[in-house]
Amino acid sequence: MTTDAIISTHHLNLWYYDTHALQSISMKVPKNQVTALIGPSGCGKSTLLRCFNRLNDLIDCVKISGEILLASTNIHARGTDVVQLRKRVGMVFQKPNPFPKSVYENIAYGPRVHGIKDQSELDKIVEQSLRDAALWDEVRDRLDESALGLSGGQQQRLCIARTLAVEPEVILMDEPCSALDPIATAKIENLIDTLKRDYTVIIVTHNMQQAARVSDNAGFMYLGRLIEFGQTTQIFENPHEDLTENYITGRFG
Amino acid sequence: MSEKFHTELDRLKQDTAEMVQCARDMLSESLNALTGQDSEKALQVISKKEHIREVTIILEDRTYQLIALYQPMAKDMRVIACTLKMITAAERIGRYGKDIANMVKHLQDQPDFAQPLPIPHMAEQVLGMIDDANAAFQTENLEAIKDFSLRDDTVDALWHSIFRETLTFMIENPKTITRSTYSIMVARYLERSGDHACKMAENIHYMVTGERIEIK
Repeated sequence: MTTDAIISTHHLNLWYYDTHALQSISMKVPKNQVTALIGPSGCGKSTLLRCFNRLNDLIDCVKISGEILLASTNIHARGTDVVQLRKRVGMVFQKPNPFPKSVYENIAYGPRVHGIKDQSELDKIVEQSLRDAALWDEVRDRLDESALGLSGGQQQRLCIARTLAVEPEVILMDEPCSALDPIATAKIENLIDTLKRDYTVIIVTHNMQQAARVSDNAGFMYLGRLIEFGQTTQIFENPHEDLTENYITGRFG
Repeated sequence: MSEKFHTELDRLKQDTAEMVQCARDMLSESLNALTGQDSEKALQVISKKEHIREVTIILEDRTYQLIALYQPMAKDMRVIACTLKMITAAERIGRYGKDIANMVKHLQDQPDFAQPLPIPHMAEQVLGMIDDANAAFQTENLEAIKDFSLRDDTVDALWHSIFRETLTFMIENPKTITRSTYSIMVARYLERSGDHACKMAENIHYMVTGERIEIK
């Protein structure tokens, strides 16, 4: 199966001061599929994820070389609007981080920033985003209540809905379930599976079984290098590299 | 946790190899009992049937537990998959041994025509394949199973030859029909056991390399 790559990197390197955190990473993330990045703590998977919407720009002392293409645009090209980039490449973090505002305002915030003022259009976006994040039925009567009153799993789905509201092409998820209980985790996993119809998802997770369950492709990283990248079934049933084998069978890491 | 898992997986593998050995011994002992018309030895083989059945259930349960508790992946997953197949094959081979042992009492009253059949030679071939498959399972050295295709051809050829020879005996002398029919069944069980050894070899190859092969 060949699909278009929505994100591709070519010899991507990243340094924090003298630490060579990402070493010559070249990979293609297929469109409308779920790609998981796995590897032991500190291997660079979150750093790589944060490269895709230039979140690392916010950290001083980071130096990047190499190329990242979103569709065919170089995201480091001069004149790139980072706000637009982050609209196209949304992100969901490890801990749910809703704004201390109402459920409604959490979702409407992004579209407003991007210039949508019409109330009925905002209403529509809020409902659709909450529906797509499988949260609508649980919060339809609580839209004006504080988002901080929702459960952890609901807050995380709210953050996903907030990301969906600006219609991104790619959704980055950094350990989206690690703060959630198994039921909330199952809901997010189901959601990820339905999201790939319309979006491309890249997920970083420590939970190997989760990576195996939700992803179509998986990349194994170790000490800043991408050791192996391939279809999830191949990586988990018959990895080609010994390092991958040892990590996923729990022999180190 | 992973250390505990790997210790248990190693132990499971070792116990499965022991079960294969036990099933293989049932087959070889049953053939000895048949050749020597030794009904006591035949009874010993038959009595092991319950044991094989119990071990099958115990080993399978342990395998399922490892899957449920640890969700093994990659090589670990393949070891688990191969172990399950080894258990099934061993149980089948053990039951063929029991079936052959059961023939001893039926043949006691039958006249022995001393038919010169190559059953002992065929048994040697098949037992050798089971031994080599079991060794490869434990050592993960594929050298011992690499010529299984050829060896299976030999076993198949022996089966066909025994079948045809026995038919000739029966046509010539209908008094030999009972004994000859049992001989055909023994040869058939041996051929099936050889096939199980081939299946074991295919699964061991998958366990070690992750690649599928077909032994024909």
